[in-house]
Amino acid sequence: MTAQPLVLTVTDEWKKPWPSIDQDNEAFWDGLKEHKLLVWKCQDCGAVYWPKAYCQNHDNKPFAENCEWVPASGRGRIFAFNIHRWAFHPGFKEELPYVYALVELDEGPLISSQMVGDDLPDDIHTVGQPVEIVFEDHPNEGFTLPKFRMVKD
Amino acid sequence: MGKHPSSGKYAIVGLGVIAGPQPDRSERMIGAEAARLALEDAGLTREDIGGAIDLRRSGGGGDRANYSDAYTRVLGLKNNFYFTCGRGGALAGLGIAAAMSYLDRGIADYVMLMGAVTDWSQSQVTRKKGFRGMAHAEKRGYWGKPVGDSRAASHHSWMAARHMAVYGTTSRQLGAISVAQREWACKNPEAKMYGRPITIEDHQNSPIVAEPYHLLDLSQVSDGGIAFILTTADRAKDCKGKPVYVLGQGFGEVSSDLWWEKKNFTHMAVAPAKKQAFGQAAITIDDVDCAQLYDCFTAEVLFQLEDYGWCDKGEGGAFVEAGSTAPGGSIPVNTGGGLLSCYHLGDLTGLAEAVRQVRGDAGDRQIADCEVAMTTGHGGELVSPGMCSIHTCTLLGKNP
Repeated sequence: MTAQPLVLTVTDEWKKPWPSIDQDNEAFWDGLKEHKLLVWKCQDCGAVYWPKAYCQNHDNKPFAENCEWVPASGRGRIFAFNIHRWAFHPGFKEELPYVYALVELDEGPLISSQMVGDDLPDDIHTVGQPVEIVFEDHPNEGFTLPKFRMVKD
Repeated sequence: MGKHPSSGKYAIVGLGVIAGPQPDRSERMIGAEAARLALEDAGLTREDIGGAIDLRRSGGGGDRANYSDAYTRVLGLKNNFYFTCGRGGALAGLGIAAAMSYLDRGIADYVMLMGAVTDWSQSQVTRKKGFRGMAHAEKRGYWGKPVGDSRAASHHSWMAARHMAVYGTTSRQLGAISVAQREWACKNPEAKMYGRPITIEDHQNSPIVAEPYHLLDLSQVSDGGIAFILTTADRAKDCKGKPVYVLGQGFGEVSSDLWWEKKNFTHMAVAPAKKQAFGQAAITIDDVDCAQLYDCFTAEVLFQLEDYGWCDKGEGGAFVEAGSTAPGGSIPVNTGGGLLSCYHLGDLTGLAEAVRQVRGDAGDRQIADCEVAMTTGHGGELVSPGMCSIHTCTLLGKNP
């Protein structure tokens, strides 16, 4: 396990679909730029959500004012993954084949992203591999993408 | 427990289907013509239609300018209301529920429901720009696109992968669903894959698109339109064709009760939908003569077979491998070929097939003595863990 999460910087021209940033997730995207993976936590009961939601565990205050964005550990386990051999969007053509994983964060929520690095899951019948966050900065476009890589247990 | 008072009170009385590539027609024109065919089939006129519903996977949102002219205006229906309705592949199920409320209060005597797409024609254009699959469209609020989740096959393949990891299901078993439905399609001249049988080896040798999914685990990209007319049971008796009665309907949302259970990837929200629909009709799955199960991909069929109880959870692979859903099997599934092998018009594909089976109009693929046909829908937002949240179940019968 690394102390500091890996940060990648990509300056190639962005040719993929752009992130969809709105009022609900702007803080999350701002957090990524600061290399924090933010999750939405209830201060009353500690339940953690992603994306943003009213807490499900008790009658809530007006729009989840008892909840706040807090940094997650950035670690989790693969819940399901696939290996793309077709690029449905031409922007992904040069990356084929790529692994796209649904990750269960240690804090509970599921979040999905592309896997990076040379060590990649390849047996579709297996899940539970430990992973950690990688921050992929796109300084020219002004956003950071969260990706994941395999780590040792 | 007896039937619910609404069971058998409404019926489908006309069906209009336009299938195959429609490069020279807009969705609106396809819709108008499908609606005209439904009127003709029912022996009704334009003046009879009190209201109309346009079944669209984007529901009431999306490209508003495109809706500024409607199939109802083109055809000249005399409807008093018109709106768009739908959520992904859940179209006909939602539309029927809405139409019933208008019929129940006498706001309309007959409601026209129609859905049309030109996905295939549009995909031929975007294909030239390097896109694969359905025509490319950006959507707001869709998390995964910048990081590799480009298409339905991207995230739906997790469902198959998760089921494979948890229950040991194999690609060959998923392939058995595809092979069985192709066998059905080869009995349906309207199906895109009519006359093109496949073997399990063909499935295994087809390109891997997003592992675990091969090309033959994916549904068709289609043009076409399906229209049907819903009315009350008493009026249905006077229509030209044989009425197909709505025996029960049920709905479930995985977002509501699976928030933390993370079962969404091996289950669908079948439990509430099944309880509601079968409770209203006062029947069990043993009474279902054929099931048109929403099949955007092979694993969705597998999940539903397990969730409805034709086999135990995790046993779906062995169940389909034994040929249970194929012609001659214990529960005929997607008897027109389904989205995998016939055409993809959302749950309208299964609805049209269910109507034909109950009417006895299904030609070489007709199920003997088909009294009850089941049809399901599926779709919704793509935010985990409530991915593709809705499940709809509609039970149709020969008798009210």
